[in-house]
Amino acid sequence: MIALIFRRFGFAAFTIAFVSVVMFAAVEALPGNVCTSFLQRFAQGPRLERCIEQQGLDRPALVRYGEWVAGAAKGDFGYSLKKRKPINELIWERFRNTALLGGIAALLAIPLAIFLGIVAGVRRDRPADLTLSSAAMLAMTIPEFVTATALIYIFAVTLQWFPAVTIVSPGASLAQMLPNIVLPVIVLSAVLVAHIMRMMRASVIDVMASDYVQMARLKGVPERQIIRKHVVPNAMIPALNVIALTIAWLLAGVVVVEKVFNYPGLGTLMIQAIYDRDLPMVQAIALIFSVIYVGVNLLADLAALALDPRLRRKGH
Amino acid sequence: MKKSLLLSAAIAVASTAATAETLRIPHELGYGGSESIDPISPQRFYEAIQNVYSRLVRQGDDGRPSADLALSWEATPDAKEWTFKLRPGVTFHNGNEFTAEDVAFSLMRTQSETIDSPTKGVMEIIDHVEVVDPLTAKVVLKQTHADFPLLVMDYRIKMLDAETCGGDLDALCESGVGTGPFQLTGYDPLGTTTLDRFDNYYGGAAGVEKMELIAIADQDARVAALQAGQIDFIYALSAEQVPLFKNNPNFTVQSVPTGRWVGLVMNTTLEPFNDPRVRKAIRMTADRDALGKLVYGKDGFITSCDHPVWSGDQYRAEIECPRDIEGAKALLAEAGYPNGLTVELFVSDISEGAVKMAEVLQNQAKDAGITIELVQAPSDGYWGDVWMKEAFFATGWSQRPADQILNEAYRSTAAWNETAWNSADFDAGLDAARGELDFDKRKALYGNLQKELWENGGSFIPVHLNTVRAFSSKLGGIQPVEDFSIRYEDVTKSGSGS
Repeated sequence: MIALIFRRFGFAAFTIAFVSVVMFAAVEALPGNVCTSFLQRFAQGPRLERCIEQQGLDRPALVRYGEWVAGAAKGDFGYSLKKRKPINELIWERFRNTALLGGIAALLAIPLAIFLGIVAGVRRDRPADLTLSSAAMLAMTIPEFVTATALIYIFAVTLQWFPAVTIVSPGASLAQMLPNIVLPVIVLSAVLVAHIMRMMRASVIDVMASDYVQMARLKGVPERQIIRKHVVPNAMIPALNVIALTIAWLLAGVVVVEKVFNYPGLGTLMIQAIYDRDLPMVQAIALIFSVIYVGVNLLADLAALALDPRLRRKGH
Repeated sequence: MKKSLLLSAAIAVASTAATAETLRIPHELGYGGSESIDPISPQRFYEAIQNVYSRLVRQGDDGRPSADLALSWEATPDAKEWTFKLRPGVTFHNGNEFTAEDVAFSLMRTQSETIDSPTKGVMEIIDHVEVVDPLTAKVVLKQTHADFPLLVMDYRIKMLDAETCGGDLDALCESGVGTGPFQLTGYDPLGTTTLDRFDNYYGGAAGVEKMELIAIADQDARVAALQAGQIDFIYALSAEQVPLFKNNPNFTVQSVPTGRWVGLVMNTTLEPFNDPRVRKAIRMTADRDALGKLVYGKDGFITSCDHPVWSGDQYRAEIECPRDIEGAKALLAEAGYPNGLTVELFVSDISEGAVKMAEVLQNQAKDAGITIELVQAPSDGYWGDVWMKEAFFATGWSQRPADQILNEAYRSTAAWNETAWNSADFDAGLDAARGELDFDKRKALYGNLQKELWENGGSFIPVHLNTVRAFSSKLGGIQPVEDFSIRYEDVTKSGSGS
């Protein structure tokens, strides 16, 4: 069991290391280097020399990779070309804001989705299920930037209940952030709920048709108790993976949603850095995203181990 | 009933009075939040410095320099010594008096190696500044420049208070103390920067009580913020965004010419473009008006005849350049290409419309038997690997005054001489214009240089781009001038609601 957990951790660490190599190599493979790419037509004379010296580009790629990884492991991601500041001074507040947005969306969406999935599964093909399933299909098929734009038009432009875009100062307190995150959270949650609910519904339907549920029914166990004790725990296992995948999706969704709402998170910072060709910043944020992605999947694996004794016994 | 109506009206007035007088414009976060309030900093906070400081000379309605902190100026006959008479009784926001000492300080610090200002290259023409008396400053140049007032009209050459800045020529001055129509009250480049009306402004108190510069980096988000009433104004709408505001009575849309251009460059030293007839033939095939409409939309441009001087510049030459396919064919035949020719054109998504422009020219040039093969280069590394390396390629330039663009792009020794234009006569013409103190004669000299570029040059500059802005209809007094020349002190805000 312990060995199993260690193996999962090892695999996660390997994945992150691999991603870091790919990201570093991708930047190296671009025409020119970090400095010429950033400075564009100003890439000449003392300005270029200063940039090369500051970024340490005069040293071999392997050495720079080693320093980058060692620095990143300590939370030091180097120096932003555009903002002329150490990257770690810039990203942590952004990280907090993104975590706030994603966290609230996940906290609201996951329990709601599980509950709705159970309702839909238990009431299969009845009006409640049909309504929920159609709504879920709708939420899944409409891209989040369309949902976001529609919500802005209705609630910000027309009704003026919420701000259309986030305007806060750095260091804004949670209370100041809250009115700004209502619309983004709704957009993110809608897609999350739809995906998880559909998986949960399918899973509940499977379990409801299983032999042990039939057996329990024949024994006269009350339906409520069957659902609570037998259906829900067993239906949760396949749903867990979908939840992990959906949270990973959240990272991509959060970039789009942050951009639409001008939300000061990692996503907008990354888009801006790409636009500015601030490659050290892009690398740093991409690495953080991949760590989160791998971390969430690792957690899902561990949770599945905890929930399903069979996985532990087979020694996966 | 009547009473409650009155009451609610009173409440409405009371609740809007606080916000109606605040002009909220977006801050585009051009430097990602590390903006400096020092006007000559490489990371200047443009939206703030525009309102906090003033210049010696500002752009008049005719494009020529007009009085600001300097009331008048005159030069010695060799145009090497310029004497500025300053406006009396001007005070900085902190109460200090504005004097010639401040002029000397503000001008000399632009040359600092430490600050490394983008204005350094141009302002290095100054040798020293003499303080003749508190209201007279004499600027002594290293070389002749008949248009020196144009150089100090630059939107970054603002007057600072030498005392508040500590008199150190090599230090950034981030006090934010100026003589402008607004004074800085809260500095927050990533959030909301606040400015208050300066009641002692020499031009009369501004039309609004407060300004807020609100950081929104993304243009789509700025559009949403304007629609939702979170800001009052946005710059640089794209063609797709214009319809969002165009027929809406709550907004005003203004299209304004600028000096920005996107063009195609032929290297005048490389085959087949080393023959001026080939260059002109290719340029003659263009129907500039049709090209502009296709690439930038009906209101998006003003046509140009391959001269880089824009329509709002006092020195722009009037040139006719209609499409002339027969003329182009004749020139090609003369140059030894009676059956047409094939050239490669390197393009990339580097500037707005660059690729589309190349495609339109490709089509238009066909009629004269010119085959243009487009080579799509990656935009990564374009400025290092393609620009000024290939024989025929795309380029883009921001707005510059006539003297500056002609010197930066066409003087034989210029670092960005992208057409490899090497003409001793042209260089001499540039020097002559700089030395000519008579405006009409100077204008004629600059005109000749532009005509020379149309006849023989290597640049294809079909149009100069317009910029389109949208703002709340509650705003008044926004003149249809380019962004750098908007006078926010003249803007008023009326009506109810926020």
